[in-house]
Amino acid sequence: MTTATVSRWDRFRESFFWYSFRRDKVAIISSLVLLLMVLAAIFAPLLAPANPYDLAQINIMNSELPPLGLDGADPSFPLGTDAQGRDLLSTILYGTRVSLMIGFGAVVLQSVLGILFGLLAGYLGGKVDAVLMRIADVQLSFSTLMVAIIVGAVFKASFGNLMFGEIAIYMLIFIIGVAEWPQIARTVRASVLAEKKKEYVDAAKVMGFGTRRIMFRHILPNTLSPIFVIGTVQIANAIISEAALSFLGLGMPETQPSLGSLIKSGFDYIQSGSWWITLIPGMVLVVLVLVINLLGDWLRDVMNPRLYKG
Amino acid sequence: MTTSPLVSIRGLEKRFDLSGSLLEQITFSGGRFHRKQEAVHAINGVDLDVQKGEALCVVGESGCGKSTLARTVMGLISPSVGEIHYQDHRIDNLERKESLPYRRKMQMVFQNPYASLNPRMTIQQTLEEPIRFHHPDWPAIEVRNKIHEVMESVGIDRDWGSRFGHEFSGGQRQRIAIARALSVDPEFIVADEPISALDVSIQAQVLNLLMDAQESRGLTYLFITHDLAVVEHFGTRVAVMYLGRVCELADTKTLFSTPRHPYTQALLSAIPKLEDDRPNHIRLKGEVPTPVNLPSGCVFHGRCPHANDRCRRQIPELIVTDGGNQVACHAVEEGRL
Amino acid sequence: MALLEVKNLDVRFAVRGGDLTALRGISFNLDKGERLGLVGESGAGKSVAAFSILNLVAQPGYIAGGQILFKGKDLAAMSERELRKIRGNQIAMIFQDPMMTLNPVLTIGTQMVEAILAHRKISKKEARDIALDRLQKVQIPSPEKRLDQYPHELSGGMRQRVIIAIALLLEPELIVADEPTTALDVTIQAEIMDLLLNLCEQENVALMLITHDLGVVSQVTRRMLVMYSGRIIEQGPTRDIINNAQHPYTRGLISALPQMGSPGARLFQIPGSMPSLKNVPAGCPFHPRCEFATEQCRGAMPEYVHSGNVDVACFEVAHRIEQETRMQEAES
Repeated sequence: MTTATVSRWDRFRESFFWYSFRRDKVAIISSLVLLLMVLAAIFAPLLAPANPYDLAQINIMNSELPPLGLDGADPSFPLGTDAQGRDLLSTILYGTRVSLMIGFGAVVLQSVLGILFGLLAGYLGGKVDAVLMRIADVQLSFSTLMVAIIVGAVFKASFGNLMFGEIAIYMLIFIIGVAEWPQIARTVRASVLAEKKKEYVDAAKVMGFGTRRIMFRHILPNTLSPIFVIGTVQIANAIISEAALSFLGLGMPETQPSLGSLIKSGFDYIQSGSWWITLIPGMVLVVLVLVINLLGDWLRDVMNPRLYKG
Repeated sequence: MTTSPLVSIRGLEKRFDLSGSLLEQITFSGGRFHRKQEAVHAINGVDLDVQKGEALCVVGESGCGKSTLARTVMGLISPSVGEIHYQDHRIDNLERKESLPYRRKMQMVFQNPYASLNPRMTIQQTLEEPIRFHHPDWPAIEVRNKIHEVMESVGIDRDWGSRFGHEFSGGQRQRIAIARALSVDPEFIVADEPISALDVSIQAQVLNLLMDAQESRGLTYLFITHDLAVVEHFGTRVAVMYLGRVCELADTKTLFSTPRHPYTQALLSAIPKLEDDRPNHIRLKGEVPTPVNLPSGCVFHGRCPHANDRCRRQIPELIVTDGGNQVACHAVEEGRL
Repeated sequence: MALLEVKNLDVRFAVRGGDLTALRGISFNLDKGERLGLVGESGAGKSVAAFSILNLVAQPGYIAGGQILFKGKDLAAMSERELRKIRGNQIAMIFQDPMMTLNPVLTIGTQMVEAILAHRKISKKEARDIALDRLQKVQIPSPEKRLDQYPHELSGGMRQRVIIAIALLLEPELIVADEPTTALDVTIQAEIMDLLLNLCEQENVALMLITHDLGVVSQVTRRMLVMYSGRIIEQGPTRDIINNAQHPYTRGLISALPQMGSPGARLFQIPGSMPSLKNVPAGCPFHPRCEFATEQCRGAMPEYVHSGNVDVACFEVAHRIEQETRMQEAES
């Protein structure tokens, strides 16, 4: 029996969330790896030996140097260099940064859209629901990639390569975010439909609260756990989508490479023996996506109320 | 007849459409398309007046429309036909802004204390929000005093404010829910089965609390329940409902000593009493029909031991009996019962 | 010999942060054809008691000690295979929710025939005849039709009748009914209770009725147990307990009923609520809510004392009896 007020930190430490996290090795390792990668990406300018965006630091004579441990390696380029002579380690650090930014950005955008439309559709129902969900259905019936390719191609054609390079990161966030909102909207709608039948919503109506207050203050906080789960997995999906677009040449330009465009740039040289330009960023991408997905799986298990009720 | 009632329900009917959109209504059978419309007839013509200061209990079994009645009075559901009046003002067709003053005067306590508190809000937030919403001009100190006052009056500790609903037992949660309703100083409270989800020893606590609140605040209750024992203890008057209609309306004492309607008689005899050790209740035939296809005539005729031809054809209206109470039964009217 | 003899049964739940004791030293007997009521509020452990009698406590619960002797054989020590021969066959169970027993995608007939064939080597035709006979016994209108219907086609009261029919299929000697009528309306509840009572009497089946409704217990059972926080605090003949309860909790529970108070007056109320398993108070678990609690109650768990035909676990009652006997001795 605790009578004193409990701090949020204590509450968290006593929670099931923290308990199951401590007991799950996969979750601990995944989150450590992810944390490491995120930190490395954030502090890339401090950690990276070179700045791949600075053309003055690049020497074309250093191109296609292999990583340490192979013949012809240069100790100042631990993971070797790419075809333009950029240090691969630095480029990967910056590339991870770009990939993560796009991943997070796209998920923030699709969450905002998805939550808003999902709430409206679920709570108001009727015609609003029908219209919004049909739009979502139509969008889901196109592949994300296809929409992104069309939009990306149109933008690239109309702005030109140079201009596109500058706004590419925002473009990608926008394209991926808009293409994927129905996923979140559907989840939100489903939980809103369940929540709005509960008596606390009736109690709020009886108090005379307006629709907006009920939707955002009362229902929304109770639909957040599934959004967390989906959001996590969607970050991984967005990073993959970005990589795929970049690989197709519709993503980040090679001057500010993401992991995807690094893989692509190395792909042209894979026949000439410079496999590392593709393989190393590829592995980084796989690990990044894998740990995010593993965390997402774990979150889904923890947040499923049926599993820990009682 | 002397004073005007606090709340009056006039000619209320509520149907819930089952058949969906036009496309779903069309069925194909016998080589032709038909348009089939089905509805649940939850309330079929109810007139009730709630007098100031009383506790009007509405009793009935599941599917009799008592909860729908409560929700319609509170404006959670809009009536299909009929009107709800509060002190002679019609309130069932108001815009949200116009209805705000009535929201403060009319409050509701729900059945399930596990669902009626927002799981993501602390007790403090739950109680504070309605007060701030209805009194945006109040200074913080006044809001806090009000919160403490209602917490005290329902017997919950001030220190609980920072905790969440799920940390409390059912009885404590129901107290918090009552505190929330009281926080806006209502005159009229609709209580929809407020104790049926609680344990016996907790039921007594909550019932006492409701009676205390009625006494100290001069509240009027519309009390929905299926438990007749509670009604006998709590109610000033009782309305017995069956399949969306009121079949008997009487003051509590009269209803329990001399029930007139056959359904009321059966209900009363079915309460398991502590005194006798053998059941000796009136057996009813069959079960409650679905409110989708209402029986013709008196809705009770299929299970009634006194039903005759007239009961099968004609719907009985509420008639005033000698004691000033009302009963809707042909047999009573004809003096057969 | 008693049909069912439960001795010192302990049931625990293994959860994070250690074991929780759900049942503590439960002992009672049930004779052939006897009707026993098990009363308690939610959290008292009455459902756990019902499940453990069939050795059906689900993970993370387990039987930590004691014996459940059914016709002299210990169910707590039996293998799953031996248990399966007894469950549904000699001991049948009725749950509050009929859909816990009924499979929604099979017809009533299929389920009943299956249940019979699992325990008896007879033909399908014969099994179907037995099923039909039991449906007639529970007075279901047009029983032949019901055999080919699915559970969702029946009303709540009808489903509960089917459940009773299923319980009777293999002529059990004991029926454990866990809140069989709680989900039903009053008029239907009265009918079902009536039916159960008559059938048990006709077939000489023992009934263990678990409920929170003192009215039902008073009408249906001959003996009753009152549980509080995983312990039996009072047991004896139903009439004796209802008319003259000894334990302060039982007394409070009975006086808290609206039918016991005069209309409009405040009801007797027991303060507080049942402790959760996680923080059961030391000593008598009822002491924080008890008006008679003393230092002794806070320190030690009371043993059972005889008061007339009733066994009570309460220091207050023990003292009273002691005083009474002393007075009698002084008089003589």
